[in-house]
Parts: sequence; C-alpha cells; structure tokens
Amino acid sequence: MTVLYINDEEVTVPAGTSILEACRENNVEVPYFCYHPELSVAANCRMCLVEVEGWNKPAASCCTPVSEGMKVVTQSAGLEKDRSMMMEYLLIHHPLDCPVCDQGGACKLQDYAVEHGVGRGRYTEVKRLPSDKDLGPFVNTCMTRCIHCTRCVRFADEIAGTGDMGVLNRGDHMKIDGIVEDALASELSGNLGDICPVGALLDKPSHDVSRPWEMTRHKSTCTACPQGCDIVIESRADEVMRIRPLKGGVEPWICDRGRYVYDAFRSDKRILSPMLRVGDKLEKASWDDAIEKAVTMLKGKRVGIVFSPDWSVEGLAAIRLLHDIGLENPKVAFDLHRRDSRPFAFDEGLTMTTESMEQVDQVVILGSDLRQRFPILMQRLRKRANLGKPVTRIGAMHYRTNSEIANDALVRPRDWYAVIARAMDQLKVLGKTAAGMDEWMGKVEARHEAGKLLADALLADTCALLVGEEIRSHEDAAALIHGLDLLMRAAGHAEEGQDGRNLLPSGMNAQLLSAMFNGTRTAAGEVFAAAIAGELDTLLLIGSDPIGDGLFSRKAKEALAKVDLLQVGSISGDMVGLADIKLPAAAYSEIEGTFINMEGRVRVAENPLRSLGEGRPLWKVMMRLIQALGHDVPAVNLTEMREHVLTMAPDFTALKDIWFAGKAQEDFIPAQRNRKNVFLPNVAKMNAAKGLDVVGRYSMYKEGAWVRASKLLAEAGRIHALDDVIVHPDTLAEMKLQAGDLTIMSNVGAERFTVGTRTDVSPGVVFVSKRGTAGDISGETSVDLGGGQ
Amino acid sequence: MSAPDKPQFSEARLAEIDALAARYPSRKSALMPVLYMAQQDFGYLSMDTQKMVAEVLGLRLMEVREVVTFYTMFKEQPTGKYLLEVCTNASCMVNGADALYAHMKNTLGIEPGQITEDGLFSINEVECAGACAGAPVVQVNNMYHEKATATDMDALISRIRAGEVI
Ligand code: SF4
Ligand code: SF4
Ligand code: FES
Ligand code: FES
Repeated sequence: MTVLYINDEEVTVPAGTSILEACRENNVEVPYFCYHPELSVAANCRMCLVEVEGWNKPAASCCTPVSEGMKVVTQSAGLEKDRSMMMEYLLIHHPLDCPVCDQGGACKLQDYAVEHGVGRGRYTEVKRLPSDKDLGPFVNTCMTRCIHCTRCVRFADEIAGTGDMGVLNRGDHMKIDGIVEDALASELSGNLGDICPVGALLDKPSHDVSRPWEMTRHKSTCTACPQGCDIVIESRADEVMRIRPLKGGVEPWICDRGRYVYDAFRSDKRILSPMLRVGDKLEKASWDDAIEKAVTMLKGKRVGIVFSPDWSVEGLAAIRLLHDIGLENPKVAFDLHRRDSRPFAFDEGLTMTTESMEQVDQVVILGSDLRQRFPILMQRLRKRANLGKPVTRIGAMHYRTNSEIANDALVRPRDWYAVIARAMDQLKVLGKTAAGMDEWMGKVEARHEAGKLLADALLADTCALLVGEEIRSHEDAAALIHGLDLLMRAAGHAEEGQDGRNLLPSGMNAQLLSAMFNGTRTAAGEVFAAAIAGELDTLLLIGSDPIGDGLFSRKAKEALAKVDLLQVGSISGDMVGLADIKLPAAAYSEIEGTFINMEGRVRVAENPLRSLGEGRPLWKVMMRLIQALGHDVPAVNLTEMREHVLTMAPDFTALKDIWFAGKAQEDFIPAQRNRKNVFLPNVAKMNAAKGLDVVGRYSMYKEGAWVRASKLLAEAGRIHALDDVIVHPDTLAEMKLQAGDLTIMSNVGAERFTVGTRTDVSPGVVFVSKRGTAGDISGETSVDLGGGQ
Repeated sequence: MSAPDKPQFSEARLAEIDALAARYPSRKSALMPVLYMAQQDFGYLSMDTQKMVAEVLGLRLMEVREVVTFYTMFKEQPTGKYLLEVCTNASCMVNGADALYAHMKNTLGIEPGQITEDGLFSINEVECAGACAGAPVVQVNNMYHEKATATDMDALISRIRAGEVI
C-alpha cells in the first residue's frame, strides 16, 4: 500500500495505482476523456493533468503511478488554465452540435466545456471534416465530433478482440476508422456508443429518438441469457427506449442480444390482452371471460405444462402452486434443451463467479459455443487468456471465439464417454481416484485422446470445468455428468471452496428450478410425446416457445395439432394460430420480482414500468387460475408469494435474507448436487445410433421468443447468419458424397437439404443451425446422409 | 509492374520475408520492410496488397492500414514509373523550390495524384528530404537530385522519355 496526499488529505491506495485512480477511489474529481477503467492507458487527451509537489510541470494523472508521500493537487489556478487550454484544443475541430447531438446532456465534453472551457475559441482556420462510417445496425457515427481519445480502438482490440477499429493517418489528418464488411464483428458492439465520451459513436437504434433528460431509468436484470446482467432500462412514458449496462454492476459490458432485445417489448408479437378463439380467429376478450374459458380447459383435464425458466422466482413458484393445488397430476417440464431429466450429479448453475474464473489455473470448456451462448462469460475467459492463462476446449467444433484457446480438441457427442474414461485412466495411474470410478470406467471400452487434455488440466491446483450444451443436452447426460463428477472428485476439485464443477444452464433461475421441481419434472419431449399419444387434453404453455426454441420443435408441432393450447405469456413466439386462449403476463421490464443468475446471484427488480397492455404479473395470473379452479388462493401479495418460495426451497436462505431482512447478498444460491444416484454409461444405446451425430447450432440473434420478436436483432442475425447444414469434408469423402443437395435420413424420415463443408469441425457430425432451413433436424441426435437423388 | 488481380508474393520473396521476420522477436515487427517489398513488387499498396501483407505476417488488416497511412512514403495509389518528389520545406523553399515545383508540373502537365499519359511520371511535394545542404532537392524514386534547376529537370525528364533508364 502507498500513502499519499490528495489536496492535503491523506489517502492509502495499493502500490502501482495511478494518481487518477487514487483520486477516483477517494471521490476527488479529476476531469478525463481517454482513461477508462476497463481499457489500457493511452494518455492522449491530457485532460487529467494534476500538480505534484516538487515537479516542475503538471502530470497526466492517468499514467502516473502514485509514490509514497506524494503530494497531489487537483485544483489550482495553474491547472485551471491548463484545462481551459486543453479544452480549447479539443474544441478546435468540434462542431457546435450539442442541440442536435444525442450525447448532449450526458456528454463529458459538454460538461467540461462548461466547467473548464473558455467559451470562445481563437482558431479561425479551416475545420477538418472527417466523413462518417457505416459500422452496421448498432453503432451510429458522427466523426466530426471525435476527439481522438482512442477508447473505441482500444475497446475493439482489447475487449472485443476484433481489432476492427483503428487510427488512420497522423497529425491533423488523423481519423478514426473501422474496417467492417456489414457490421462490426463483435457481439459487444453496442458498448461502443457507451464508451465514446462524446457524440462521435452513438447508439444507432435509439438515434434521434429521445434526449437523455427525458428518460427515466430503473435497474433491472437481463433475462436474455443465464448470465443475468445488471442493466439499466431507460424509458419514456412506459416505453423502453434503451437498455444499458449498470455502471458499477458486476460486468462492465452487456452483449448486443441483451441490449437490443427491447424493441420486442412493443412488437406485434406481444400478448397484450386476453384472447379467445372464435372460429379460426383469436379475438380480444375480457379477463373474466378468458379465465372462465381457461377453467374449462383445465378442470378435470389431463394437462401438460411447459414453462419458461426466465420468469421471476415469484412467478415460477406460482406455477408450482398451480401445479400442486389447481391441477390433477399434470406433467410438467421447463427445459427445452434437456433430453435427460434425471437429476445430475452437479446440476445447473456455476459454483464460481465469472470473475473468479479469471483466477483459476485451468479452465476447460466442454462442448459449448460459449461466445454465442454466454458472450459475457466468454469475455471473462478472454480477459483471462490475455493474462496468459490457458483455456482448454473440447467440443464438436472449433467454435469461433475472440480469444486464445490454448488446447482445442474435436470430439463427436458419442465420444464423450471415451474422453472421460481416458481422463480417468490418467488420473488413476497417478493414484487419484474416487469411489465408483472403476465401475463407471468399466462400462466404457473405447478411449479418446481428447481425454488427455482434460486430465492434464485437472492435474492443476485449481481447475474449473464449464460443461456446456453438447453434454447437457446429451441423451445420456446424467451418466456423463456423473462421470465428470467422479473425475473432479478424484482430482480434488469438488471440495468446498474450490469446487470447479460448473454446468452451464439454458435459462435463468436454474438452481431454484432444479430444487423446486426435483422429482416432479419430466423432459419436455415426454410431455409432447404424451400429447401425441393422446394422454393429454390440454397443453399449458407459460412463456415457453417449444416450436421456436429447443430440441423438440417437431414433436411440439405435432402435439399442438392434437390438444388444446392455453398460452400464458408476454410474447407469442412461433405459436401463431395455435392457441385457443391467450392470457397476457407482464414482461420482465414490467414486474417487481426476483431473478437468480447462473452464478447464483440474486437480483430483485423494483420500480417496474407499467405493462403496455392488460398484462398482470405472472404470479397474479396463476393465483387467478387457482381461484377460478375452485381453490383458496395461496398468496395475495408478493410477500406471501415469497414465503411460499422459501417453503419450497428451504435451503435458499440467501433469498430470505434479501427479501425479509433487507440484507445485501452474501452467499450465492448454490447449484444442486445429487450424490445419491449412480448413473452409468449406456454405451449400447450410443452404438445403436445412426451413423452421424447431430449438433444443433445456436445463434445469439435468433434464439428465444423475445429475441425473435426484435427487428433490431433480426438484422444482426441476417448479417451474422450461421451456415444451415455443415459437415467435415472427410465425412462426405468417406461416404463418397459431395457437398450440395443431400438427403438427411432421421427418425422422422428423409429430407433433402443443401449441405456445406467446413474443416474446423469434427468429422462424423452434422451441424444443423436451429434457425436454418433444416432447423427441425437440429433436435435429432443422429442421422444418416445419402446421395442427392 | 502493374498489380495482378490478387497480389501474391513470389516464393523467393516469401523466403526472404521469413528470413527477415526471424530477426525480430515477433513476426509482426517485420511489417515496415515487408510493406516496402510489397510496394516494390506491386508498385503501390492496394487494399488487396495490404490484406495479403496482413495475412503473411499474421496481423490484422487494421494494424497494417494504421502503419500504411501513418507514413507518407507508403503509397496507396498507383504512381508513374518515376515518382518525382520535390522538397518544398524551408531550405529548399528559400532556394527556389516552389518555382521549380510549378515548372515541373507545367512541363509534365500533371498535378499531384495524377500520372502522365505515357505512364512514366507522377509528381509530389514533400517535406524536408533531409538533404538541406543540397537544396533544392528532388527525389526521383530512390535517387536524390541536389541543387536541382529547371534545366536539369527538363533534361532528366527528356532522357527518361527517350527511354533511358535511371
Ligand atoms: S470515436 Fe469516440 S471513442 Fe473513438 S476516438 Fe473518437 S471520441 Fe474517442
Ligand atoms: S450476456 Fe446474457 S444477460 Fe448479459 S446482456 Fe447479454 S443476453 Fe443479457
Ligand atoms: S485521461 Fe489522462 S491523458 Fe486522457
Ligand atoms: S528542406 Fe528540402 S531537403 Fe531539407
């Protein structure tokens, strides 16, 4: 630690801190432009000058480290003059644009011009006129306003890792430029508008729409992926105008998916009032009529419930109450991406914070397209890789990342047993083992060399596994995860405090759901199968879009053709024309409620917007249904709802502290562990599968009903489209086939699709983009390929 | 030497680049000399050439562009076979460089950025060539002509037009 004096106050900061950071930490105002806490120091704006006693000229505080006993002065007549001169320089080429600039009112340049500027420039020569750039659908440019702080360039290099922004020319000709084809290549591009301290880079979708001071802001949680980023929703008259990361939130950035999903809030896919089917049309109805009709679909009927995990905790508990009180033995499912509903040895959720993943010695990604699914987590790993710490990856494809992957191995989904068994061999030779490991290994004959990478990483002092969708959606996921659990225990990474077993979930609130529905849940596929088999009368879909999302679209379509559909939700999804009744439930921006992210972090949303339509919070809709079905209402307010949550999940004391003791969160909600069950590999089933494994691919711009209702994201989805169907060229060569139109034979028949090739994928696998032409096939586990005719 | 559709270094060049790159701690550091090579081989640094250089050295296109645009001696536009660079900085200016520059432009009938119809000449005004003792200085490709006069330059131009290689 270093002790220094800032304006005669003694302060203590860690050694090596810059003067500017020391001032910021101690709430001493120093003006700056180019400094950004998440970026490297460029020290080019010279706005951050301070005086240091004994130094004969002012120092740029952002790049001057503190030293013992240093006496820093941040306000003096000399500095005032320096600052006003800096402002005069910076404003030489800056247009007098504030009245038409979106940054106006939230602009550092404007603020400092008022505070330190002189009001009149002496420059009378020609002003430079750099031209604007087309950086794609999210970032608007007005380059005459640029002050060359290079924050955007550093962002593209250091954070996005795309390096597509740069500085061209020099001196007076210097200009910021982007090399882009259709759009910036980063899924974090929306942050550029936030980090530009002036109005040169601005948010394009909200451009010229409203002024900063017209908006109200409230804190909320993004539910577009399980990361659950802290966001600020900026709204005007209950309409969401913009979503931005919360300053001082856990993560400094949010992804474009979470940021631009907001136009879906007012899309025509919203369910804004109760709707009833009359003939073959849906017509607006009153709540009373709709509820009355809904009761006829539920009372005494065989019901299947499929709901979305992304509702608030209170909403989810209300679904459980409806399930328990209102309905008779309904089948219930919520995960559209999980085929195996047996409890996993380590169930969904992380045991570590994403932040702590920077620290561990080894991180192993098992079967996940992390950049598409968890862009912010990927960002953490990138930060880690930039520090020279290794990331190992085993999976079906060298999924494109923006980060260094130290070891990268390709495997087919059916190889996972052999990968795990190979790693077990290696640990066993070193005398590391766990009870039950021999039995597990005994079931697997084959060994896959990728297991060596896994074992090598496991031998480190600390190791985090990130188990992704390729394993989680596996038909025999419980056995695989059991195997991984054994490995982690054998390697000593399962103990409290250094537990590295992380299973990436597919939705929010995963820890709560696996506790709350343990033993009750089935796989979504089974619910649809029951409907198809005539074992159900009604499907109750609560916010779930099984046609648009997940692995069971084909089955869902077939099921929905057979049974009545009661849809409760905020958005219709791809169920157009199928519902018999629709009940509106308020969107996540419109409710007070609690959310748990994949790390187990709890967020309570307050001060919601008014619902744009007649939507009610989900828990109220559920209570209304329970009442209409002839039962006492178990909860009449949010507090009572929360008491029910604690009864259902008594271990979740963190929730209790936050809700009822008004405490800040200390403990993270733990992921569930199921040590009782032993699940051994079912290799025979794998061997009986068709010739090629299927891996479904996910586009962050197309998955999820909210995302699909967003026009902004649709545009990004078009630009960053995934290939429809691809295989490794060797796979085709072996079968004497050629890329082009081929027949894909699956359990549901033979269809022709255009098949392309890529060399950075595992042979023996067919990659199918979920939202591509062959989307329905992405839900199959294995297929055969045949010639074009 | 006009650039082909897709510029490509010759095998010999690539070997030379590998040898050169080995002298630096990182391959990327060989950027400046490799850009000169590319300029020599392809006449100027088109966007395609810059892309190729980026690939050869494992750099991002933007990193290459930043260097290319920073230094005026990297040309992004084609020039005539002979590029006449007239220094008009202080020492040369007081020794009549401005008049010389005007005279030469007039003789050739071109402005900076243009090429004479026979494809032989381009002309440019440059800052101090670092040879003030010989002011005014005209650089013709890589060769300096010191104490240059209008007569000298006219003669030089005629000799080149007559087919003499200098
Ligand atoms: S565009 Fe904005 S962030 Fe980029 S250099 Fe200019 S002022 Fe800085
Ligand atoms: S990473 Fe996930 S939670 Fe965060 S902004 Fe993006 S979609 Fe939302
Ligand atoms: S903030 Fe220090 S020079 Fe810009
Ligand atoms: S001023 Fe012309 S060479 Fe120096």
